[in-house]
Amino acid sequence: MVAIPEGGLIISPDGHTATLEMKDVAVVDQPKWPALDAVGMPATMSFRMIWKATGEKVIYDDPQKQFRVEGYRATAQLEAQVEVPLIGFSWKSDPLSESSANFAIIGDEVNGRYYKPMK
Amino acid sequence: MSSTDDVRSCCTRRIFLSTALSIASAGAVSLLLSNEAAADNKPPHSKLSTYNGDTDPYPIPWLDKNGSHNQPAGPQMEPSHIYHFKGRVARCAGFVGMGTDNMGNRIAFGTPTTDYGFMQGEYFAGRTPQTGAFTHI
Repeated sequence: MVAIPEGGLIISPDGHTATLEMKDVAVVDQPKWPALDAVGMPATMSFRMIWKATGEKVIYDDPQKQFRVEGYRATAQLEAQVEVPLIGFSWKSDPLSESSANFAIIGDEVNGRYYKPMK
Repeated sequence: MSSTDDVRSCCTRRIFLSTALSIASAGAVSLLLSNEAAADNKPPHSKLSTYNGDTDPYPIPWLDKNGSHNQPAGPQMEPSHIYHFKGRVARCAGFVGMGTDNMGNRIAFGTPTTDYGFMQGEYFAGRTPQTGAFTHI
């Protein structure tokens, strides 16, 4: 988990669309993950990702784990570029419109001390 | 040419999300270490510290048992990686897409665990509410 810099995340006023864009995020390239002997190399990743709510509302509420999500199922698309300088490797995805995600959600969540069970 | 035949098969076999998950794990861990320890890539000092004095987000307790601090996105699953949180969230998983490496090889990305998300809002840490925006990549 990394902090998003100012301006990296834009959410529409109605909360139905979100665009996340970050450049040259320092990451660890670890092709054999999750193998215990997986070797990691420093890399950078730049990406742009867009979530768009569909009309399908969702509410996940779990009093035992103390969280509630109210939002929408969504579509999500991604374009990205990765560079691993130590081995001279780089990779660039096709345009964002060519990708898709099998599952996506966008909404509001409360958990922990902010959670209050529904009555 | 098959990507797995490449002499740099460790690279061409890469599945984009595997990389991303490594990133997420590393990122989460670094947030839980002191800045100094994370920056120097050294073990944290032996002096004990508590989360009470730190403004970094607190991980979801039951997701921390394996040190990964996260779980794949899915129906009925909690999107946030931050405990004591309220705000906007989005998650996605199971990406399908293609890309090209610098050798011209076409390489797909996306596995069932390809998983991204963000959390923007208020979280409680250091005994007081904090605000911030974080991503899991």
